[in-house]
Amino acid sequence: MDILFALLCFAGISMVLGLMLAVASKIFAVKVDPRIPEITDVLPGANCGGCGFAGCSACAEAIVSGAAKTAACPVGGQSCADAIAAIMGTQTGTVTRMRAQVMCSGGHDNAKQKYLYEGPHDCAAAMRLGGGPKECPNGCIGFGSCALLCPNHAITVENGIAVVHADKCFGCGICVESCPKRIIKLIPFDAPVHVGCSSLDRGSITRTYCEAGCIGCMLCTKVCESGAITVKDSIASINYDLCTHCGKCAEKCPRSIIFVEEGKCTVAPPAPQAAEDAQNVTEAIREDAKQNADAPLQTKDTPADTVPQESSTANEEAVPENTENADLP
Amino acid sequence: MEQLINILLLMLSSVLVQNFIFSKFYGICPFLGVSDKPATAAGMGMAVTFVITLSSAATWAVYYGLLVPLELTFLKTIAFILIIAALVQLIEMFLKRYLPSLYQALGIYLPLITTNCAVLGAALINIQNGYSFLYSVAVGFAAAIGFTMAILIFAGVRARLQFADAPKSFQGMPLVLISAGLIAMAFSGFSGINFF
Amino acid sequence: MNKYIKQLKEGIIDQNPTLVQFLGMCPTLATTTSVSNAIGMGLAATAVLICSNVFISLLRKFIPKEIRIASYIVIISAFVTAVELLMKAFFTPIYDALGLYIPLIVVNCIILARAEAYASKSPVLPSAVDGLSMGLGFTAALLLLASVREILGAGTWLGIRITPTAFEPALIFILPAGAFLTLGFLAAAVNRSRAFAAEYAASHPKPSPIEAIPDEFVTEANDTEAPSSDEPAKSTEESEQDTSVDNPTDAADDTPSEDADEAADDTERSAPEMVSGADAAEHTESEDDL
Repeated sequence: MDILFALLCFAGISMVLGLMLAVASKIFAVKVDPRIPEITDVLPGANCGGCGFAGCSACAEAIVSGAAKTAACPVGGQSCADAIAAIMGTQTGTVTRMRAQVMCSGGHDNAKQKYLYEGPHDCAAAMRLGGGPKECPNGCIGFGSCALLCPNHAITVENGIAVVHADKCFGCGICVESCPKRIIKLIPFDAPVHVGCSSLDRGSITRTYCEAGCIGCMLCTKVCESGAITVKDSIASINYDLCTHCGKCAEKCPRSIIFVEEGKCTVAPPAPQAAEDAQNVTEAIREDAKQNADAPLQTKDTPADTVPQESSTANEEAVPENTENADLP
Repeated sequence: MEQLINILLLMLSSVLVQNFIFSKFYGICPFLGVSDKPATAAGMGMAVTFVITLSSAATWAVYYGLLVPLELTFLKTIAFILIIAALVQLIEMFLKRYLPSLYQALGIYLPLITTNCAVLGAALINIQNGYSFLYSVAVGFAAAIGFTMAILIFAGVRARLQFADAPKSFQGMPLVLISAGLIAMAFSGFSGINFF
Repeated sequence: MNKYIKQLKEGIIDQNPTLVQFLGMCPTLATTTSVSNAIGMGLAATAVLICSNVFISLLRKFIPKEIRIASYIVIISAFVTAVELLMKAFFTPIYDALGLYIPLIVVNCIILARAEAYASKSPVLPSAVDGLSMGLGFTAALLLLASVREILGAGTWLGIRITPTAFEPALIFILPAGAFLTLGFLAAAVNRSRAFAAEYAASHPKPSPIEAIPDEFVTEANDTEAPSSDEPAKSTEESEQDTSVDNPTDAADDTPSEDADEAADDTERSAPEMVSGADAAEHTESEDDL
């Protein structure tokens, strides 16, 4: 009898709980917009977070609710935006393709080291030890934590600085989040120039520890005709909406840290263009043209000392290796 | 007034002296499982706090309202686990409908909580100690705060452990357990304190 | 029959729920303050595990997929209540010592994990054997942990004083902190022995168990007494050297250690040479009694 009683009691409890859940599931039912899964399917599905939302489905939700534009996905590009616009039944906005850029050019040769670091090869770890081995508080630590995370392997570490290879970068912004110094910025893919420094110290202080540091001299601001460059906290920053691609700032910069992308500025010699034209000429002439085109490139486009040094060291290394190999047999 | 002070003292002792993780070992699985990052640890802690507080109230009501009058107290384990499972499901649905932002934060942790011994443990402790309704809810809440505190402290420690150069055999779980042991050692310092 | 022995070995050594999979940590840490508690907890969980596995396996075709977890929990909690009442009636001292941890077997991840991963897909007999093997693996791990903690922390084993009076027990091993520390060191020892076994398996592709083992022992362990046949070699190794993986076999069930001996397991026995000093100390302590 007792057993029957207990059984009945528990059947009752279960029944009540079950009914409660069933009713609750009706009351609390959430209507899911059918467009959300559709858009999620269209999106690349990389869940990279480049749009600023937590993954692709969150981005789809934001697009449906109107919190994000149909062109919100920086990775999918125009075709993806068009497909989303078709689902939403609206006009496509234009996608500005972005790319990441490390705003630092103080490599091993021109930025001073504070101490000799022998810890784990990880930027965040080095950051915990007095802000990293470089004396500059806003300089690239150069252990490539961003390079490890880059889904497209677009970042390499060269001469102690992380370098983003623009052709591989699809602007997801993972590296921007990963950098403990926060010196990686997303800039428009077509940006012609960028300032290769993030130092917030005054010019006189920056000068003491880095040869490639912005000293806030305002020369670029004065030379810029469109007013696209402003200097705040003794660091120049460029407003790409106003930039007219003239390239005068790069010419004027006394520290040579405003870098020009090849062929994107009107004043700086369009080097690749010259090479392309030369392709129509005979081989001998083409080689000459290339040499001519490369020569100004090296002085203008690169931080003046990295490329020549690297090539010279490479040559030095290559030569003894050859001699050793020759000696061995 | 005296009752209020009693409740506060009881809560303080639940947080520090009778800490769920470091002295009672309730809820070790989520403690070891989701303490990799402080953010996830905070989410888990919040979800547990939410569920324990509500389930303390619900189980107390069912125990004294149903099981005691029917003399079925020996079946409390089954009844409690049923209530907790249903409650977790209910909370999940409710949050999804009315507090989507909170659901986003806690969502993925809620299903895990059904099999979290901290929740069932808290309910059983309240019954075992014969607390009144107010005491039950207060102690349940305090115990959950103790759990959250422990898991947050530990997440901070684990974030640093990632850079530790440990011997190969100790990497992973052994190192985690040993550092948990060291924190537990610190917490055992509270065990001498007697609030009553 | 061979299949079941293999399954037993799998649960006790290769896939030990506690030391390898790190499931069911709450009772593992909480009830290993003394050996008697550990045995009580381990056997209670084993009983529940076997019963629930059998029952869920019987019902596996009738439980709807959507509510299977809830159904499993109810089935498990029914058996836990039965075990709780039985222990209260017949093993009152252990029941009192374990207290709330008996009802908390309901939320032991091992039981739910086996129900979900194995019993819900397998026939009755294999499910029962799986429950037995996982349960014994759990019991063995608890026993090992409790032995270390009780000997170092109280100087006794199963309540009998076994250390010399000069030995001052380190209370920390009975305290909660000791549980974490001991389990951490044991897990490290298990890691080391597994890595050693993997290295051995990699360097000796497919060693035939009969020929390869004695050779390995002669060269690696450089015994003073060269083993003439296989069996003495094994026994000396077992008595001289010990690891955490080895202990469960000795303590809980002897059949797998003899029948299912394979090259990998035997090498694990020679692993402690590589384990750090602290571990070795703990092991020698615990092995005195086992």
